[in-house]
Amino acid sequence: MRGGRVSAPELVTLTVDEVEVTVPKGTGLVEAALAAGIEIPVFCYEPRLGPPVGACRMCLCEVAPGPPKPQAACTLAAADGMVVKTARTSAMAAEAQNATLEFILVNHPLDCPVCDKGGECPLQDLTFRYGPGNTRMVFPKRTFEKPIPISPTIALDRERCILCYRCTRFSESVAEDGQLVAVNRGALTTIATFEDEPYRAPFSGNVIELCPVGALTSTQYRFEARPWEIQNVPTVCGLCPVGCNVSATTREGRVKRILSRNHPEVDGGWLCDKGRFAFGHLRARDRIEDPLRRAGRRRFEALSWADALDELERLLRAGGSSTVTALSGSETVEQAYALGKLLRQGLGAHTAVLPEEVPDALDAFRAPLSAIRDAPAVVVLCDEPVAERAPIVDLWIKAARRRGARILTEIPEEPLEGAVLVSDDAARCAWFARDLGAAAAFYLPRTPNGRGVADAWSAAADGEPGDEEPRLLVVSRELAAADPSVRALARRAEAVVGIGMFEDTFRGLCDLVLPGTSYLERDGTTVNLEGRLQRQRRAVIAPCPDELAWIARLAERFGVELSPHASVVFEEVSARCYGGIGFGDVGERTPLPARAESRAPVAAPASAPLPDGEGLRLVTYRPLFSGAAVERTPELQFMRPDGEVELAPDDARARGIRTGDPVTVSSNGTSRELRARVARDLAPGLVRIPRDDAAGLHDVVEVSGRA
Amino acid sequence: MGARAMLLAGTEGRDLTRLEEYRAIGGYAQVPKARAMSSDDLIAELQAATLRGRGGAGFPMGRKASLIDRGSPRPKYLVVNADESEPGAFKDRQVMAEVPHRLIEGCLIAAHAIEAKDVFVYIRGEYLAEYEILQRAVDEARAAGLLGDVDVTVYRGAGAYVCGEETALLDSLEGRRGQPRPRPPFPPVQGLYDAPTQVNNVCTIATVPAVLELGAAEFAKIGAESSPGTAIFSISGNVVRPGNYELELGTPMRELIYDWAGGIPDGRELKAVIPGGSSVPALTPDQIDVPLDYDSLGALGTFFGAASLIVVDDRCCMVQLALRSTKFYMHESCGKCTPCREGTRWMVQLLERIEAGTAARSDLDLLRSVGDRILGKVLCALGEFAVYPVRSYLDHWEDEFVAHLERGGCPFAGESSLEGIVAPSDAHARHAAAEVPA
Amino acid sequence: MTGGDVARFAEEVRALAARFPDARSATIPALRLAQERHGWLPPEAFREVADALGLTPAYCHAVASFYDMFHLAPVGRHLVEVCTNLSCALSGAQRVVDAFEAELGVRPGETTEDGEITFRTVECLGGCGYATVVAIDNRYRQHVKAEDVPQIVEAVRGR
Ligand SMILES: Cc1cc2nc3c(=O)[nH]c(=O)nc-3n(C[C@H](O)[C@H](O)[C@H](O)COP(=O)(O)O)c2cc1C
Ligand code: SF4
Ligand code: FES
Repeated sequence: MRGGRVSAPELVTLTVDEVEVTVPKGTGLVEAALAAGIEIPVFCYEPRLGPPVGACRMCLCEVAPGPPKPQAACTLAAADGMVVKTARTSAMAAEAQNATLEFILVNHPLDCPVCDKGGECPLQDLTFRYGPGNTRMVFPKRTFEKPIPISPTIALDRERCILCYRCTRFSESVAEDGQLVAVNRGALTTIATFEDEPYRAPFSGNVIELCPVGALTSTQYRFEARPWEIQNVPTVCGLCPVGCNVSATTREGRVKRILSRNHPEVDGGWLCDKGRFAFGHLRARDRIEDPLRRAGRRRFEALSWADALDELERLLRAGGSSTVTALSGSETVEQAYALGKLLRQGLGAHTAVLPEEVPDALDAFRAPLSAIRDAPAVVVLCDEPVAERAPIVDLWIKAARRRGARILTEIPEEPLEGAVLVSDDAARCAWFARDLGAAAAFYLPRTPNGRGVADAWSAAADGEPGDEEPRLLVVSRELAAADPSVRALARRAEAVVGIGMFEDTFRGLCDLVLPGTSYLERDGTTVNLEGRLQRQRRAVIAPCPDELAWIARLAERFGVELSPHASVVFEEVSARCYGGIGFGDVGERTPLPARAESRAPVAAPASAPLPDGEGLRLVTYRPLFSGAAVERTPELQFMRPDGEVELAPDDARARGIRTGDPVTVSSNGTSRELRARVARDLAPGLVRIPRDDAAGLHDVVEVSGRA
Repeated sequence: MGARAMLLAGTEGRDLTRLEEYRAIGGYAQVPKARAMSSDDLIAELQAATLRGRGGAGFPMGRKASLIDRGSPRPKYLVVNADESEPGAFKDRQVMAEVPHRLIEGCLIAAHAIEAKDVFVYIRGEYLAEYEILQRAVDEARAAGLLGDVDVTVYRGAGAYVCGEETALLDSLEGRRGQPRPRPPFPPVQGLYDAPTQVNNVCTIATVPAVLELGAAEFAKIGAESSPGTAIFSISGNVVRPGNYELELGTPMRELIYDWAGGIPDGRELKAVIPGGSSVPALTPDQIDVPLDYDSLGALGTFFGAASLIVVDDRCCMVQLALRSTKFYMHESCGKCTPCREGTRWMVQLLERIEAGTAARSDLDLLRSVGDRILGKVLCALGEFAVYPVRSYLDHWEDEFVAHLERGGCPFAGESSLEGIVAPSDAHARHAAAEVPA
Repeated sequence: MTGGDVARFAEEVRALAARFPDARSATIPALRLAQERHGWLPPEAFREVADALGLTPAYCHAVASFYDMFHLAPVGRHLVEVCTNLSCALSGAQRVVDAFEAELGVRPGETTEDGEITFRTVECLGGCGYATVVAIDNRYRQHVKAEDVPQIVEAVRGR
């Protein structure tokens, strides 16, 4: 890696502005200075983007030993006896940093009053602290058409751009999508995408946060708020099993944007565009705010809460112990527990359809996600694309590859020292984790909090599930309502009760629907794919009462004691399955629970055999950019997959199919017209299609080109 | 001191682009000799000769070789810098056109010294004829089995002066935008594909066979004490016989200008000499008795640079000279670091106003100040190359700058030899960015 | 290019790539090859190079736009480039430029009506001792004087 790799715990002692500081050898000067409590100003420097580039020249300092001119501190590593002088103690450094700022501002529009970055802008701050007071530049500045959209979610103002190359470095060497680039040369250089194609990649939004000026801005946030009018609520994303740490910027009770809140072990400070932009669903047209009762085949009518609770009580009593609960895995631990306690203790209805089966055996391979980056080898046993299921995991794997790790997509012959396993199949994951003696193993659950929900349900009561023939079916939230098996169950049930956010999802399915809250509107805890308990905080008030409130009221009627407060509910669950840690201790920095050795036997997985002959095995998946929240966020529509079928290179070649070709995918009877994409990460014999485009296809299909 | 053929030896009356002709004058004889030596001995020999780099910096070639991390598990690379794009320079071009095999022979010796199996010659894209000749010579040498287990790849650039800067060259060779890298790490430790890499100028490498042929001791006796050997001097501009002259280092500048190049034509007066290519401070007529070597020129506050003299007579307006020169560096700035990208453009704007006669006196100070703010703050020296000459014009010919302000226009009143000279038409006019007024 | 051409082009590019320790190094040679085929670098050229080398079109465009010898807009069948840097300028390059403007009826950076000749003024071509240097389709003509221009243009048109 250019710029060298930091290693060796050997210590060195240097002086920064007369302050002596001791740091590990190889520590960058910017970090070393920070350790001495001294700031070295930077723009282009961002260690998460790879080796320093030394482009902006903001960090110029006086460094001895070294040439008698200012040095770019960001490109130097601390060495023993080094003497560093920043602008505070060196006239040379002060002059240099002042010069850099003058040059940066020479062509900067200085339109801060109308700039979204105003008030939270590094360029503003540094100019104030190190910059020239007045401008000596009286010539016409560079002008560009501004701003131009580089995608429906991101706007680019090329006049404000200071060419620190953070965004393009992210695109090239973090997300590795190679879509955002610098074009032209010298003073004519600008940031651009190819032709007028949008920046269409799952992590594009991160460039907004990386931009140190107001050049890359969020179209959602444009002109929406000023820094002094907003609050930033620290919480955790609830849209996938990674659980990235975020802060929700709110103004006047509305979410305005989602920012990353760097958790070095979980997300490394990155977010996917779903987590960042999909909050639009909070104000969806079909958002359920009042209880609804069926009033015709596809019609609902609103009813009062009093009536709703009476009606629900009636249905529950009728359903009794043959009530079945379908949980989605997007509830908080507390919500799942509350439901479980009400239904299981109140009705003796122990039967549930749970979203996930996570073998305890995996707890012996628990590790922070960042362990993937540091592994010498990563074995990825996934039929589904990693980025579609747990986006950030894909970035950790890419980081490992850049660090020289071997990335394998099938089981290696001999065990690999220190290998980390990633799989989208719980059983295979548990089996091969032991089989390979993996250093760590990560199962990628289908749902955001499937593990926590399973924990909570089992903690809610003891008692054996009865038969699955439901009299009453309780469908908790959209993910469950969309599940074909749940819908099948619903057809057999006498009555169906739903809890959720969006009317369209439950129309035609339920007799009674109670409004649900979003992950941005509730307090509670979730368990991410590492097995880490994380805290969700209420960023905005929901348009409806909190689930815990009405579930608690109902519980009373069934003689079940239940608190409406998440903190109390959590501590009840915690006493049973989280070692009794308190609600207040579940913060974003909660350490990962210790590994738990488990003797539990693990069954060898029955890997689906590859069909012989012409046929290919169909793998369907739920694309990252799909589902209730994405469907209700207009800015994200361009991200949704457009009818593609992925083939392995060999299978494609054998059929004379190239990326972009129109093809026909068929299995006895049904057939679909899709576009082909040759996917290098796909094993031979498999084809991959987004679930919605695969409707009606069986699990063995034929693929043929259309001339 | 004076003329001495070393790089260009044997070219009279012979076509040395042909292998058998080159061998007829003892060509490639030094390769087996070198390969019989250990790397350490060979490097020691090169160090003893103190062959200083001809690409500009004058860093001893042998010392650079000794810095190569030969312990590294990675392959080692030799890269020949044939990007020659410095205005005023055209010496490397003649070497490749007339003695390509001497360059290849030098490559094979240097490659052995640093234990490299791959040699890349990065030649500027505009040198098409030279590329063809060199490529043919490489094929000939390969066919004759002279390369042994070393492969020589001739790589064509595509039009970017900055790619002459060694780290920008490496990025370009890696298939990227040719932008300089921060140093450290330096190429001998982490260069091409992050492997230890030696980068040398064409003339440096083409001199290597002579070093072995004569032996370091003998070689060191030639030319100037501190900078032995010969150099091909490119001389152009207002002289009677412009062209390349191979002379011993230390030859007086006056001898080159007046004896070899025939002095100033049309009975005009010498006004200025830019001694190292357009990027270095200019000298005045009373300074030309200086010996042409690194240290003597350094003592005068200028640089040996690319051993390329641009001679300017009294018909030329120094403001126009400054403007044209600065437009070049603005056009070639890679755009990576702030002071060069923004500063060169600002200098052009100031110079245009001065030339137009609409500037104020304070603009001269501003021009100086902008220059000072570029110097020492840039990522590579290109930004400084824009400043050095302009500053020297201001220092030596300030009255001429002032005259523009006082007369409200160019004192040459349309008679300057640079009158009306146009800047390069932008190659990428299609881009919105090209609308930028300079 | 037809499908067949594209396939053949991809083969050639992969052959180029094989000559380097890292295929990325073939980007510039591949872009040059594409430019020879198309006459300039239209969007599809970037897609072709990107596909052949496993890069993105955006990346290939970023690289091409850095180098002056790549044409991101259509050019004439022939390219006439006059050096206007110091040494040529000191020796009267601007008179040669004027002569070409008059003869071709276009300004620097423009292409003649008939699409035959694109006329450019360029930076130092490395022929300072033989001013003025004019590159015609990358072949140098040296010691060019204004009076040589009509005959040069005639010769170019003749090709
Ligand atoms: C902007 C810039 C342009 C340069 N152009 C060239 C060039 O065209 N040819 C060259 O040999 N060196 C050039 N150099 C110097 C190289 O960076 C490097 O020092 C040289 O190739 C080393 O070779 P040498 O030690 O044999 O002189 C340039 C340097 C800079 C900063
Ligand atoms: S000095 Fe100029 S050419 Fe060198 S890195 Fe900076 S911008 Fe690029
Ligand atoms: S922060 Fe060091 S050069 Fe940009």
